[in-house]
Amino acid sequence: MTGLERILAAVHFTPSDRVPVVPQIFGHAARIAGVPLDRYLTNATVLAQCQLAALERYRHDAVFALLDVNVETEALGSRLRFPRDGYPSVEHFAIEHPAAVAELAIPDPSKAGRMPVLLEAARLLRQRLENRVLVAGCVLGPMTLACQLLGAERALFAAVDEPEAFERLLDFAADVAVRFGQAQLEAGAHLCVVFDPSASPAVVPPALFRELLAPRLRRLCDALKRKSGAVTWLHIAGPVEPILPLYPDCRVDIANIDYCVDVKRARAAIPRLCLDGNIRSLAFVDSEPDEITAACLRVLEGAGPGFILSSGCEIPLEARPECVQALVDAAKERSSQL
Amino acid sequence: MDAALSTLVAHLLDGDSEAALAQARRVRASQPDGQRLLVEGLEAAMDGMSAKCTTEQFNLLEIMLTGRAAMAVAREAFPEGAIPCTRGTVVIATPQGDVHDLGKNITRMVLTTKGFRVVDCGKDCPVAEMVAAAAREQAFAVLASGLISPVVPLVRQLRGLLRERGLSNVVVVAGGAALKQCTAEALNVDYVARDAFDCVHFLEGLRR
Repeated sequence: MTGLERILAAVHFTPSDRVPVVPQIFGHAARIAGVPLDRYLTNATVLAQCQLAALERYRHDAVFALLDVNVETEALGSRLRFPRDGYPSVEHFAIEHPAAVAELAIPDPSKAGRMPVLLEAARLLRQRLENRVLVAGCVLGPMTLACQLLGAERALFAAVDEPEAFERLLDFAADVAVRFGQAQLEAGAHLCVVFDPSASPAVVPPALFRELLAPRLRRLCDALKRKSGAVTWLHIAGPVEPILPLYPDCRVDIANIDYCVDVKRARAAIPRLCLDGNIRSLAFVDSEPDEITAACLRVLEGAGPGFILSSGCEIPLEARPECVQALVDAAKERSSQL
Repeated sequence: MDAALSTLVAHLLDGDSEAALAQARRVRASQPDGQRLLVEGLEAAMDGMSAKCTTEQFNLLEIMLTGRAAMAVAREAFPEGAIPCTRGTVVIATPQGDVHDLGKNITRMVLTTKGFRVVDCGKDCPVAEMVAAAAREQAFAVLASGLISPVVPLVRQLRGLLRERGLSNVVVVAGGAALKQCTAEALNVDYVARDAFDCVHFLEGLRR
């Protein structure tokens, strides 16, 4: 089976030759290739080469055409600061109050900011890999883009103080994600990860997620599925257990779970939804490979079918390669034991 | 606690700044002692929020709303200036390379309303600056809040830098999404706080 087939088998709960394994390798691909991160984040060819080199090294099942969490907000006018070898951050936010979203237009992904870099990276990776491994793009979920446009503190207060304007901001953010996500699918991505860490129950109450965010995520996922029948992958970090039962209604196919979520409890909450996770990200920095192996085996014991072995969140830039390899090897070795 | 203060605490826990401020003014009209408002109003509300966070889902938005309301009431209670500092000085920062300061800001609010004097060194802050602030302000604790993993090696340096300045007695506490994945030993700190309230409880334990 190919990596793509393995992942689709997990999504559809059909038999597979082994558990698919997807370490969430983003900027770490640049770090192990010795490429400065700012080049990786601004040059599609470099990004694709680094992702391919990481794939060659680890032999996992998916690559990521993914830059950082600032692509959309930069395309909409936020000013970024690029450190020498780290992810950029927003120096000046695009808007100062939620109502100002009325002055923004949905960016054209073929022209705006670094959106074309991501599209080109997706195209290059798909061209090279065809359907052998999954090529994933990425869009920000509505809550996270709202925070990236306005600043997290202002956005969160706006959710309470200016609910109508805040909802318009969320609608706009969802529209941006639909347009950008569909462009990524057109460019060659098999799917878009919807990355929405600010929607985590660690940040907002589950009731706010249910009332304000779930309907927008559903609209986004529906639009991505309509485009090409693509699978949808929702990535929300932190203690997501209270909102997991809402994922099926959001049209989610793959649910990321972080290290703090018990796999068995997550499985019980959404028994027919594919899960991915959930090895602690920092473990790839501060643990030994045999500890990663042991953690993987524990997770796989409780996961059952419909599971993708993965890190709970991004593999840190400074992760030890031997620990990432231990994750991949655990999936392969565990499968040979079954 | 009397009924007026109980109402104030309820408004604070609801995160309703306007109602809390109006109630604080009513309390002040009959009881001008700002200290009572602090202890029986603000601290009680923070204790209530802390209890809620240990039994229910912890989320930043509700704490921010309570914190904002509490700060508004504090300004009403002490219009002449700073909230009385009864529990000592701490230095807080988000270390260099990390600009995610929401957790740090929430911790600052909670600590302030609990009677700590908080020296906020901001975000993207060099650890040497945090240590210099601890020396200058005679802080008993340095708090590092980090969301992303590149700050881990910087936090590990704090204790050594404090020792070099003759500040071995200064306590180091870490917290935030990335740092709380690590043990205190791995970070070379005295304590890793699960959240803002856990941090406050640890510091309160030191000042008893």
